[in-house]
Amino acid sequence: MLKRWRTRIFLFLAVLGPGFITANVDNDPNGILTYSQAGAHFGYALLWTMIPITLALIIVQEMCARMGVVTGKGLSDLIREEFGLRMTFIVMVLLVIVNFGNVIGEFAGIAGSMQLFHLSKYISVPICGVLVWLLAVRGDYKSVEKIFLTASAFYIAYIITGVLAGPSWRTAIVATVELPPRTLWGQHDYLYMVVSVIGTTIAPWMQFYLQSSIVEKGVSVRKYAATRLDVIVGSIFTDVVAWFIIVACAATLWAHGLGNIAMPADAAEAMKPLAGSYAFLLFAFGLFNASFFAASVLPLSTSYTVCEGLGFESGVDKSFRQAPFFYWLYTLLIAGGAAVVLIPDFPLVQFSIFSQALNGILLPIVIVFMLRLINRKDLMGTHVNSHWFNVAAWLTAIIVTVLSGMLVIQQVGTMWKH
Amino acid sequence: MDEKRNGPSLALLLGTPVTEPKGSLFGRLKDIAVATGADAGRIAGLVLKTKKGLELVPATEVRSTPSGALELRSTDAVQPLQGDENFIFLKQDLLDQQIIDVHGRKVVRVNDVDLQWFSRDEKQDLRVREVEVGLRGAVRRLLLGVIPKHALDTFSRKFPARVIPWEFVDMIEVDPARRVKLKIEHERLAQLHPSDIADILEDLAPAEREAILTTLDEEVAAEALEEVEPKLQKALVESLDSETAAGIVEEMDPGAAADLLAELPEERSEAILEEMGAEERQEVEELLEFREDSAAGRMTTAYVQVPVQATVADGIEALRGFEGDPESITELYLVDEKEVLIGVVPLARMILAKPETRLEVLTEPRFISCQVHAHQNFVAELFDKYNLRALPVLDDDGRLVGVVQADHVIAFLRDKI
Repeated sequence: MLKRWRTRIFLFLAVLGPGFITANVDNDPNGILTYSQAGAHFGYALLWTMIPITLALIIVQEMCARMGVVTGKGLSDLIREEFGLRMTFIVMVLLVIVNFGNVIGEFAGIAGSMQLFHLSKYISVPICGVLVWLLAVRGDYKSVEKIFLTASAFYIAYIITGVLAGPSWRTAIVATVELPPRTLWGQHDYLYMVVSVIGTTIAPWMQFYLQSSIVEKGVSVRKYAATRLDVIVGSIFTDVVAWFIIVACAATLWAHGLGNIAMPADAAEAMKPLAGSYAFLLFAFGLFNASFFAASVLPLSTSYTVCEGLGFESGVDKSFRQAPFFYWLYTLLIAGGAAVVLIPDFPLVQFSIFSQALNGILLPIVIVFMLRLINRKDLMGTHVNSHWFNVAAWLTAIIVTVLSGMLVIQQVGTMWKH
Repeated sequence: MDEKRNGPSLALLLGTPVTEPKGSLFGRLKDIAVATGADAGRIAGLVLKTKKGLELVPATEVRSTPSGALELRSTDAVQPLQGDENFIFLKQDLLDQQIIDVHGRKVVRVNDVDLQWFSRDEKQDLRVREVEVGLRGAVRRLLLGVIPKHALDTFSRKFPARVIPWEFVDMIEVDPARRVKLKIEHERLAQLHPSDIADILEDLAPAEREAILTTLDEEVAAEALEEVEPKLQKALVESLDSETAAGIVEEMDPGAAADLLAELPEERSEAILEEMGAEERQEVEELLEFREDSAAGRMTTAYVQVPVQATVADGIEALRGFEGDPESITELYLVDEKEVLIGVVPLARMILAKPETRLEVLTEPRFISCQVHAHQNFVAELFDKYNLRALPVLDDDGRLVGVVQADHVIAFLRDKI
């Protein structure tokens, strides 16, 4: 009996991989900031978004995983083959800009979280930059994936923070399955927050990253069930973490009327006197982990994608000499991202908003490409979307696109105000 | 017309208006058809998009005019494109797709195709010169329509070109029906070193690998497959049908074949064994009995043994009759009538001796061997300690059952690093 349980747990862990990692990186500093704000401003009233978000995430990620397994090609490879060089080039340029913005956000998260431990950003950011760089350049795919999986586990810090914050469990659970009262819907701020929470979940780079890592892993069609499970488990875990971040902030900041946070690190700072220093430590540690983790994955994902699409050699399994463009792009993204954060008085918050807006512009393009690709019989064979899956996927795409569009308009608006 | 040094590129030529002799617009260039089969590589004609649909005209029936347009000599040679011809289309099948650069031994993506006008029977004809995979072709494609064509042509030449001569291009056709029709043969690819073919296979997507592997000669496919990393090897064989897989596995070294089959699900490996010839099958099945991490799991049964009374001449005769890869042989084994190993003769020592010399005289005074159940770590230690190239493996009665070769040990050690 015991042995059977052990096998089961082992099988479950063996399944975890690209899907789990990708979904978790999505909870980067930008995500954490959004969830923290959601909890701090509106308490438990945004928890209902978690279930639809999870479904949307699963639908989009599952399509990428399926395309990767069936075609054995990355998303940018497929875009190149089906839509030509120029279209690919445009998407790649946009992606590099968007992701560079995100990388800056991740290093800002590292700086902020380490400042909570009284470590100057002039020390923490360069050190972490070098560590991140070494991770991919010196490791092979297997060890990199192991390190990332370990990092994913540290998201449990947020779950513990949520528990330490002593929330009202009943209220939280009811708020998760019930739509909020109609009065809230009339509020502009609330609507915007809903849009932000949903908009932050699915990022364009995730689709490229997930598909590439599945291809690199060499998952066969026969083993696809395991990969799908990986995607589903990853998406659920990620949103459970998001749920606990909202709950933690709701139980502390919102309960005490502290609704205003500008940086993710502020949330931890504000939580200190309210939930005790353990919760503070865990929240700060969680933020550091998330930032560092995302800072490692994003530059890597970007380099992969661009090289595939434009036909350069790529892969962490290759040496610097075999894939020079790949490593140079990777290096420049990290060095550039870290350098920007070190500029004194750099407007980090505005920049983070700006990068989120760019994400929102690129996402619809990527999703439409994906849907057109995955429905091609000559490419996917019997693995094209089923009718109902298509309905669900297009619906998801349209909703996410509209929301992203709203987010862009809102954030551009906020930028003008600043 | 004289041969031009700089011919047009496909990207620049596509969409060019084609006029009738009188000057009125006839259609636009849609694609370029290249013949397969006996005429492989020759341009069969230009595909025009006209009011009547897609039509084909031989390149010799058009002239390029100074204005950059193309002019038909007469409309007589224009024929409708049926769609069932055995053509490769440069735009549709080559642009943005992956090809194998046989010369550079890697997989690349096509950015543009360089063409060239040349004289044939007092007319001008078009040929494919090389495929562009570098920055020059990319710049041309990206800026096309943004700046005028002739300016773009000059501008793009400022960028370094990375080209593959047309004769070194190996196309990958995934669709089996079309593959048969086009008869794409990977002749040049087959001449590469098996390790290079393996590297190329590793760079391709599963469907493409399968396409290549099934069109290669079984012997070449087997050699390449031996060099592919184990995980991919397994995936590749799983994607083939049992008959094709059996044909390739049969040609593999029995040791490598057994290692591969041991990795597959049982029903799958049995299905493949079923399709194999009786002799090869028995050899592989015997090897499958052993633990993978034992000496027997690492050994091959492809070796040369001779009776203990044999002479050098007999030894050489036995080598001639050897069916495996003769390059893998480094020594001969002398056995008695019960197949018990009596002595080991290094190949070099045998060659230096006279034909009538008895091999027994040439044996190593103390030869090293190991038991079938010896652990692979121990085997590696023996190789290191005694500087071995090959190690005979004996069963409990001292009979020779197989040989572990140095490259098997290196492969296993590399896995450990």
